[in-house]
Amino acid sequence: MTNLVPLNITVNGIEYRLYIEPNITLVDLLREKLGLTGTKKSCNEGECGACTVLMEGRPVASCMVLAIDADNKKIITIEGLAEGEKLHPLQEAFIKYGGIQCGFCTPGMILSAKALLDENPDPTPYEVRRAISGNLCRCTGYQQIVDSVLKAADMIKGNQV
Amino acid sequence: MFIKRLPKFTYHTPSTIDEAIELLVRYNGHAKVLAGGTDLLVAMKKRSVIPSHIVNLKTIPGLSGITVTGEGVTIGSLTTVAEIEKSPLIKENFKPLWDAAKVMASPQIRTLATIGGNLVSAVPSADLAPPLMVMAATAHIKGPSGERVCPVDHLFAGPSTTALKPSEILTHITIPLQNGRGIYLKLMRRAALDLAIVGVAVSLTVKEDNICQDAKIGLGAVAPTPIRAYKAEREIIGNMVTEEVAQKVADTASRECAPITDIRATEDYRRSMVRTLTKRAIMNLWEGNR
Amino acid sequence: MENERYQVVGKPVERTDGRVKATGKARYAADLVAPGMLYGKILRSPYAHAKILNIDTEKAKRLPGVMAVITGKDFPGIPFGTRPDTRDQLPMPITKVHHFGEGVAAVAAIDEEIAEEALDLISVEYEELPVVLTAEDALKPDAPLVNEFSKSNIAYTSDFVFGDPEAGFKEADYIREERFSSQRVAVGFIEPHACLAEVDASGRILLQGSKQSPYPTWRHMCRALDIPLSKMRLVTPFVGGAFSGKHDPFDVDFAAVKLAQITGRPVKIVLNYDEVLAAYRQRNAMDATLKMGVKRDGRITALKAECILEGGPIAGIGPFNIYFFGAWLNLPYKVPAIEYHGKLVYSNRAPCGTVRGQEIVLAQYAVDSLLAIIAEDLGIDQVEIRAINAVTSNWKTANGIVVDVSGLPECIERAAEIIGWKESRKSRPKGRGIGFSCASHPSGVRLGGHFGSSVLLKLQEDGKVIITHGGTEIGQGCNTIFCQMAAEILGIPFEDVIQGPSDSDTAILDSGMFSDRCTYWDGNATIAAANDLKRQLADIASKKLKANPDELLFKDSKIYVKDNPERAIAFIDAVRTAYYELGTPLYGRGYWAATDIDLLNWKTGRGNLAHGTDFIATAIEMEVDEETGVVRLLKGVSGDDAGQPIHPVMLEGQVNGGSAHMTGHALLEESLYDDKGRMLNYSWRDYKQPTALDTPEYIVEHIHTHDPYGPFGAKGAGEASSCSTLAAIANGIYDAVGVRIKDLPITPEKILAEIKKKKEGK
Repeated sequence: MTNLVPLNITVNGIEYRLYIEPNITLVDLLREKLGLTGTKKSCNEGECGACTVLMEGRPVASCMVLAIDADNKKIITIEGLAEGEKLHPLQEAFIKYGGIQCGFCTPGMILSAKALLDENPDPTPYEVRRAISGNLCRCTGYQQIVDSVLKAADMIKGNQV
Repeated sequence: MFIKRLPKFTYHTPSTIDEAIELLVRYNGHAKVLAGGTDLLVAMKKRSVIPSHIVNLKTIPGLSGITVTGEGVTIGSLTTVAEIEKSPLIKENFKPLWDAAKVMASPQIRTLATIGGNLVSAVPSADLAPPLMVMAATAHIKGPSGERVCPVDHLFAGPSTTALKPSEILTHITIPLQNGRGIYLKLMRRAALDLAIVGVAVSLTVKEDNICQDAKIGLGAVAPTPIRAYKAEREIIGNMVTEEVAQKVADTASRECAPITDIRATEDYRRSMVRTLTKRAIMNLWEGNR
Repeated sequence: MENERYQVVGKPVERTDGRVKATGKARYAADLVAPGMLYGKILRSPYAHAKILNIDTEKAKRLPGVMAVITGKDFPGIPFGTRPDTRDQLPMPITKVHHFGEGVAAVAAIDEEIAEEALDLISVEYEELPVVLTAEDALKPDAPLVNEFSKSNIAYTSDFVFGDPEAGFKEADYIREERFSSQRVAVGFIEPHACLAEVDASGRILLQGSKQSPYPTWRHMCRALDIPLSKMRLVTPFVGGAFSGKHDPFDVDFAAVKLAQITGRPVKIVLNYDEVLAAYRQRNAMDATLKMGVKRDGRITALKAECILEGGPIAGIGPFNIYFFGAWLNLPYKVPAIEYHGKLVYSNRAPCGTVRGQEIVLAQYAVDSLLAIIAEDLGIDQVEIRAINAVTSNWKTANGIVVDVSGLPECIERAAEIIGWKESRKSRPKGRGIGFSCASHPSGVRLGGHFGSSVLLKLQEDGKVIITHGGTEIGQGCNTIFCQMAAEILGIPFEDVIQGPSDSDTAILDSGMFSDRCTYWDGNATIAAANDLKRQLADIASKKLKANPDELLFKDSKIYVKDNPERAIAFIDAVRTAYYELGTPLYGRGYWAATDIDLLNWKTGRGNLAHGTDFIATAIEMEVDEETGVVRLLKGVSGDDAGQPIHPVMLEGQVNGGSAHMTGHALLEESLYDDKGRMLNYSWRDYKQPTALDTPEYIVEHIHTHDPYGPFGAKGAGEASSCSTLAAIANGIYDAVGVRIKDLPITPEKILAEIKKKKEGK
């Protein structure tokens, strides 16, 4: 009934050439076809941020993107942040400063934070809260997530010097 | 009742607007255009719409971007809310739109959602509508019989319906240069990631003698569509701006709107918030002017 | 000081699950796959209360790709429940549906799309029944009965009197009575319910599910499936938050198992969050009236309370909730005499379990709010009245709870100091206020004989320890702190203790992750298991060192003679001796239950209930917009007595998390129903959990005490902050704009209405 459509997508630096059904969302493509289950799925209607990934460097709710709409786009998921054993400063900071509890919001949260820091390396606590305001977390109360992002910003700045 | 995976559909990637219109004509009512997708995909997952064909507009070049013209600015209908939020041009010159962009939904939805989609979805609480209304923005529409324009004021026909025919496409929005100053205030239950309970946009042109030369008031979430509060506007145009006048205007606006009670707020609360926010908006602009 | 005594305990070590979660490699139930796996989906009732006349599954079964369709009739029809006297639920309903969204049939298909399509092909014939939505509905004499296993809509009662309330009220200089109510709220973890069930050739079931308390899940499921416990193995993958919403087995778990049994293939069911909001666990709606008597200086003389909890169509853990509400009115303030009457009633709204802090949250909200009102009436400072009444060390409550150590007075003092209470009394901007509230919470309760915790340590020949326990890492960090504790006792580095799987085949006896019990109970079990290993190693080392095993110390990966560190052997040498010379594997077995605590008498309500009461004083500064009614929380401070902090960073996260969670309960969240019992806001778009912009900056001040029974002096933690936050917000709104809202949630509309009333009154 439905014709498969070609999709050319780069995820975490790896290029994929696939034929997919047009009605599959990006989150399902990542989780089901590419095995990248680090991207979490919860509300499936763009209201929780668990499925946040970066598309062309910007945060998107991947449940609200048709996979085919990511044609020729570059996607970064949580699996694409660390370089081998070396964690991204955000990952290090989240581990160290209490940004992680149950971990279910963590991938989306870290990617929203990455989108912020890539654009604004020196955010205020308010700017951090605003950047993660589309990512629901029930465990932490957010303070330690905010702390983690600010510490990561410091770490990144330190590394650049 | 509950969210499902997306229904099956045939996917189309037109490369021109005419091609897109042709597809809409051909599938006559069974096709939906895809812009940001943030409203359409939810509706499809809930099976409130089940289009057999999806026509992706994003493969058409030239429908996105913010361009300065002699008369003002042109915003392509596929321009995302995030682009608007990040545009210094919009922030400096068309502030109500910027105000609205930065409090809409969430960052990860703003990356996707488009100005055209926000208007065409035509939900009563559409954040971008009241600002565009008070800045006298015009919607540019293309269909099988050619191009036409429609003031954003007249774009909405009812909840989720617009003046667009099924085979027409909103191509861009133009906003004229603004003489006065404007603001958009949004009341939400949450401080983010929320729909407007009430949205109020006000644009005021006040001369040095403190006399209001022109005023436009746009209201969201308090009627079946975003609306202008014309009667309230008339209360201020030609008058000296004072707190008393602002209060009078706000009172009129609160009577002029037609809110309902739903799970988000009661009719009474919405009315009284129209009053509060309208007055605040006027006072804010006036004080900023002084 | 205290911390100096410990090498690992009290240090912010890297949490054991940090790396795997930060990199997206942690596997939650929805991430699991198995060869030949089918996908399950559940058909849900559009009615809140209706007879099931017929379910026709034939069409669905004929859809290509559908492998099985089941209904409630496919199960043995054996009810299960939290207590032997409240076995009132079935895996899936047979004769009638009890709430909107209740699962009535389930499908397994080769993919999710086909499973969803199949749901549309199942036709269910219902006959609508009148609905019972509120406690008032439930208690009407002619009310329809909600639960087919109960002859009444009263699911449970709790009544008690302690001390002499009558005399207490006589002695009082001032008496005030108030009614408080609280809405239905969802639990709000982010990971929807999910599981993967498999059945092996012998018929043994393996269920991997997002479960908070595997032990009760395992037992209840085996009962309802009519299989021996040995026929089922429960393994818990990573769990994306629970907060008391994932204790018991759900239709998700039962359906996956049954579909796997029928098809012989693995079956995975993953819910969408709208299903979770509509049809799964919530917090009871509360309606309570409290009467408090005080002396002129604010000292409480007596308390009388009535409480009705409306809990949906099953009792669930409601009996504990209704008892706890009363029991925890005895704390955190000194109440010499109390009379309590509580009822738990059935209704046709979503089934209740509880939420973070249990119904102690509601009790503390009511008692603290009433104290705040009385302080206003008598012109006593809010901090002072709390200090006067605060429970102190070696206190025994009227109902028999023994408080060995209380840091509450210091919690109050520090919280007031940090928030700037005194200065704020002199002047503060219009619309600004500070809400103050105190609370306490048990460190695990002993409600039944099988309440206990067990830990197994396997010391391998490489000197590393694998720890397996019956607890569940639901984000609270228990896996990390047990590794810390084992490392501390064995004198080895934290990294040398490795968290093993959560598996019913190894360690299971554990009554569950609730009531702040995990650190305390499982922690003590960990210590016991580590000491068991230590004894075995000391035995070996004592022979090598020619010393008495009792005089050996374990530290820095060495075993040495006390007062003579030179006489030492390496920890690893003792281990190798066991494996390579003696052929002895090393296992440490540990279990713990507060067996010196009386089992609660459910009839009289008497029982010392728990050790290690933890305390908190919370102050929240806020701004109330008098024109819009919008409340903005600016800053939160908690002085928190959790005994010895085991991991200070994680402890702060627990305290902040509980408080932020309840900001939603206080201000934003409410499950709404229409008059037919259909839920109106089962989407996060309209069920509003707080975002990072809704929660304030938060400071946690550790009030370091030492509990005599707790592991390393620790108490439970995390839930107390849930218990102090509701009243802090209500009190703060009063402080800011002079209106008191006693029915939660405190919406802008309610605030404006009260402000208007107040203005008109003047």
